[in-house]
Amino acid sequence: MDMTPDTLSTGISRRSLLRRAAAGALALPAGAALLDAFAGSAPAATADSGQLLLNNYPGWIGKSELAAYAKKYPGHSVKMVTNATSSVAEVILQFKNGGYDVLLSDTTDAGQADDAGLIQKVDWSKVPNIKKVSANFRKAYPWGIPTDYGKVGIAYRPDIVGEKITSWADVWRLAPKFSGRVVFINLERDCLGSTLKSLGYSANSSDAKQISAAKDAVIKIKPHLQAFLNTNVGQGLVNGSTAIAMDWDYDVALLKQKQPKIEWVAPKEGMHAYLEGFSVPKSSNNLEQVEELLNFMLDPKQYADFVNTTGTAYTVPAATPFVKKTIANSPILKPSAAVLKRVEFDHYLGAKGTELFAKAWQEVKAS
Amino acid sequence: VLQQARRHLLVVPTAVLTVVFFVAPLALIAVYSFGSVNPVTLDVFFGWTTGNYREFASTLYLHSLLRSIFLSVGATAICAVLGFSLAYFISRQPPRAQRLLLVAVIVPFWTSFIVRTYSWVDLLQNLGPIDRFAGAVGLTSGHLSVLYTPTAIAIGIVYSYLPLMVLPIYVSLERIDESIYSAAADLGATPWRQFRRVVLPLAMPGVIAGSIIVGIPALGEYVIPEILGGGKTLMLGNILADQFQNTGDYPFGSALAVTLMGVLMILLFIMRRRQPLQETA
Repeated sequence: MDMTPDTLSTGISRRSLLRRAAAGALALPAGAALLDAFAGSAPAATADSGQLLLNNYPGWIGKSELAAYAKKYPGHSVKMVTNATSSVAEVILQFKNGGYDVLLSDTTDAGQADDAGLIQKVDWSKVPNIKKVSANFRKAYPWGIPTDYGKVGIAYRPDIVGEKITSWADVWRLAPKFSGRVVFINLERDCLGSTLKSLGYSANSSDAKQISAAKDAVIKIKPHLQAFLNTNVGQGLVNGSTAIAMDWDYDVALLKQKQPKIEWVAPKEGMHAYLEGFSVPKSSNNLEQVEELLNFMLDPKQYADFVNTTGTAYTVPAATPFVKKTIANSPILKPSAAVLKRVEFDHYLGAKGTELFAKAWQEVKAS
Repeated sequence: VLQQARRHLLVVPTAVLTVVFFVAPLALIAVYSFGSVNPVTLDVFFGWTTGNYREFASTLYLHSLLRSIFLSVGATAICAVLGFSLAYFISRQPPRAQRLLLVAVIVPFWTSFIVRTYSWVDLLQNLGPIDRFAGAVGLTSGHLSVLYTPTAIAIGIVYSYLPLMVLPIYVSLERIDESIYSAAADLGATPWRQFRRVVLPLAMPGVIAGSIIVGIPALGEYVIPEILGGGKTLMLGNILADQFQNTGDYPFGSALAVTLMGVLMILLFIMRRRQPLQETA
């Protein structure tokens, strides 16, 4: 019997630290990126040994998942390699440099890798469990198995703000009143994407005028912002030093355990979201075994192990009976169908769109 | 001749290390800075373009460079003032106390730089201990609101790099012969005049060495601005890191790095030209 307490694991915040880190131990990845680009270095492939090489976030796997896989398929195993950060450039290099059989990547990274011809097509007839994944996630992440997602919404303290927030427009309206107590996410796709939603545009717009309008909107609110943060975005909501935050759902769900006064809002204009999954680099010679692994990972019981370990919002409804109640019954992590309809997953915008976002973001920062 | 050749052989390991780990990477960065990148595949092409340097000339990047220089020079100056006072105090203590105080200066290095920087988030945040103390003693009516400002970045840089300033200044001060103080006093110099005309010039090599050791990393600093600046203050180091990690534009990132190196070399050149003058003053 699983005696794990029915609370959200700290894996979420740890993951957010690793996934979203732009701070911290950044020098090493930056240097490594240059060296990788130069040398094309790659870890040793383990092709014929029955051992797959998986690149993943640290701890971003079910507690017993890999052991269960090795037990179910004697002679087969997975060696997990982890990276401290997984920025776009780094993920593309991982796709390029070979060695890995399975890679964790989000829709933006995988989209770019696909455009660069670095992704191998999966034979879905060998992964029957893919049918257990909701259609919207499969559509948004067609390169592999979509495993988890995170929405960008609003977290706030109603006891401080004194009124109900329902939209992004409310955030912009209330910012001057709570100047210095509003926090935004420090990632261009999440921040500008949410701002585009607030203006009634697609979060995936690559229209220069729309991106410019979003940039101007963020510049307008910037004097009232306490900070743009990558990690512990909503932490200030716990002690009340922050009144309103643009934040990820998993962060808010975790913070709400510490401070029940925090409220989560799925803004009426819609939400931008990331979606992650496992896909197969073109260079892998072990597609058949990878397909076996992907199918195993989507088995509802195994998948629930992953969800319970990481505390993420999930993509396989059939896993619900095995998922912790705090996650399965959370209106934040498991929103209604109506809310999910308002979610727009980010996708790769092409070279031009990506450059427009990057430039706009730097102008926001420099303003 | 054989003995001389043997003596030269001793330099080989250090020379090899320097070439492999310093000269070659720098040359690699310089070569990259004239390349271009395919933004989809992130393949780098060496067409020997100067486009990356032309792009750097835009107002956005120049402002970031100026901001970085301003913050770095300011933080180095504060470090020099605080470092000199501390080093002078330590150098005037009995030998045993000096050793203890020097250990105290070095102890913070035993903890991770990242952890030390993050600890300032807790200290400086509104409703944090410093904010509460300032409110309790009536220094502020509202909140300090220092965290996520350029002031917080400066505090972080000064805190992190202060020991690097204290140590070379201490070495310079510790070398001053005690009799020089007595001689200056015998000749009628007041304590302030002693300090200004005797101690300060003799300690100047230490101040310059400390300023170089602090100023160089502070100019390219990006972890402290990221953590304590709240992403609101764009420093050149942050743009540079972004090119390698997110955009994957290694040639432009390399051009930024080379430019930063150029600025540093100019500053070092200016300081070196000033040093002999100070030493003979």
